Amino acid sequence: MMIRKIHAEWLVTLLFVGVVALVFQQAATDMARQGIASGGPYDNAAAYPKAIAALLGGMVALQLALRLLRARSDEGPDAPGVPLRALLRPALMVAIFALYLGSLAPLGYHLTTPLMLAALMLLAGIRNPVAILVPALLISLGFSFVFEAWLKIVLPGGFLHLNIPW
Amino acid sequence: MLAQSLIQGLDQFFTPLTLILTTLGVIFGLVVGALPGLGPLMGIVLMLPFAVDMPPVSAMGFLIAIGVGGSCGGSISAILLRIPGTPLAAATLFDGYPMAQKGRAADAIGIAISASALGGLFGGLVLILTAPVLADFASNFAPPEYAMLALTGLISIAVVSDGSLLKGLMTGALGLLIATIGTDEFSTGFRFAFHYEMLNGFHIVAIVVGIFAVSEMAQQVQAGNLNEKPTVKPVRPGFRSVLLTLRHWKNLLRSSTIGAAFGALPGVGGTISTFASYAVAKAMSKPEEGYGKGAEGGVVATESANNATVGGAMVPTLALGIPGEAASAVLIGAMLILGFFPGPALFADQPEIAGGIFLVYLFSNVSLLVVGIVMTPVFVWVLRLKKSYLVPVVLLLCAIGTFALQSSVFDLWVMMGFGVVGILLRAGGYPLAPLVIGVILGPLLENNLRRSLLISREGYWIFLDRPVSAILVAANVLLIASAIFWTIRLRKAQRARRAESPD
Repeated sequence: MMIRKIHAEWLVTLLFVGVVALVFQQAATDMARQGIASGGPYDNAAAYPKAIAALLGGMVALQLALRLLRARSDEGPDAPGVPLRALLRPALMVAIFALYLGSLAPLGYHLTTPLMLAALMLLAGIRNPVAILVPALLISLGFSFVFEAWLKIVLPGGFLHLNIPW
Repeated sequence: MLAQSLIQGLDQFFTPLTLILTTLGVIFGLVVGALPGLGPLMGIVLMLPFAVDMPPVSAMGFLIAIGVGGSCGGSISAILLRIPGTPLAAATLFDGYPMAQKGRAADAIGIAISASALGGLFGGLVLILTAPVLADFASNFAPPEYAMLALTGLISIAVVSDGSLLKGLMTGALGLLIATIGTDEFSTGFRFAFHYEMLNGFHIVAIVVGIFAVSEMAQQVQAGNLNEKPTVKPVRPGFRSVLLTLRHWKNLLRSSTIGAAFGALPGVGGTISTFASYAVAKAMSKPEEGYGKGAEGGVVATESANNATVGGAMVPTLALGIPGEAASAVLIGAMLILGFFPGPALFADQPEIAGGIFLVYLFSNVSLLVVGIVMTPVFVWVLRLKKSYLVPVVLLLCAIGTFALQSSVFDLWVMMGFGVVGILLRAGGYPLAPLVIGVILGPLLENNLRRSLLISREGYWIFLDRPVSAILVAANVLLIASAIFWTIRLRKAQRARRAESPD
């Protein structure tokens, strides 16, 4: 299956529609409850986001109309695309990075960082275990030294409270 | 006002920390500039979390120096590998690469560094002479002018960004909406605050790192060739390059002027200025100079223009608080975090900061000349770094740098979220710069819009009643109308070309 630019454009359109809907929903509920969705320019905190959201909604509608008009000429069967499997690697990169961010607080910097670095190097195509493990450990320790010893920032220690007293 | 700023700025500037950080910023900038796929914006974004805890002038020196070094660093890979490290250096390869092919790689790199530094110093002079005058003029501005100025900044970025006008305006509007998250300054009510850590909105650094850096790394991974290791021979330029550059002094002055002027225009930026100055230099050259076949003048034109652009872009950034491009927007974000507000008030209330920034900008260009030439072998060696190591390191820097801002795991998820948004926007051909500029200019626009309406007796007519504000309204209408006109013309031309050659 080929993923074309138009597919990403539809996803972004959905994002914009969601944002516009959220602005109006919040103005009608949460902001109205707080009493900041009506009155003059001083009190009405909902007017400005609603105006921007309306403008964004208008632009989304205009873009949809233009997209329908240009559908045949621009995004025909010959339009360039990317095979779905080509997106596997960036998707895995995002997944590994998200997993790292999620486990950073509970497991701590020193347990998770070398694993994340090694996983990303493996994903990038390095196959030699030494060329993965040594840099992963050195980079992790190097960053820890810069942040903890120089910048005096306490990195997450996790449930084991692992922090190196540099 | 100017002399007072510079004298008071000396105290802030002449500290070991500022001098060391500015030099380190130049070195880091040259490294990220030389590495294809990174560049000055990415360098500033990655170092932003470190800078926010430094003294203001030292931090600004560090970040500005990254911009200065990064604008020049791209020329190294353009000359040696025929791959511009940044789009800013794309025009440099027209003559830089042929020079290297003729065995003059050291001269080409030396000229590129010298022209960059001299062009940057020219941009610095433009900055120092014009920013205080512009700030003085803008000190008479009231909320309607500021609101319209913010709108002009945003629209001009959207108009000239990559991708369509509509897409630029849409991401700009998204940025304006993101800026409304948190506590409303007027009513003190909460807007879109679904989590207690959202009461002050999202941290600008988390947004910028996610939207630019994380999405860029995903793009690099998708592009492949992560284990490619280019073969480059060692190159060692000398200070003789300065003399070679000065032989083209007319070209240098002309290209620096073009660069500084283009830089001061919101949205135009360095890439356009380098191509424009190259075209002018080529048009004014003699045939025997051989532009396109390894002419020294070609390298002088493009490199002096792109670094003069940095100084030009700082003019509206410092004097009005309106960023000319994405890197300036990030610098404004840094200034706000560091506790000072760019604009006329900066020159009136904190002249020592304004003066300090002028001086660090000038020093970063002097430092570029010395460090650039002396350390070229290091930057050439850096070109051999594999992306398979670079991507994990950049992502780690994104994560730990963002965490270090306020030891908040929430910030990490904000960064990740904006990273995914950035990936989607890039894939759909939406420009990212208007989003960040929308986030930066959002509070300025909303606060001044509401203040204008509060003082107005005739509602929105206040924007047309005042001359400067009315001119800005007209400029905004003209900008959008001309962009629509050119888009339609371009589409018609494309359709005509397709009709002529159906294959």
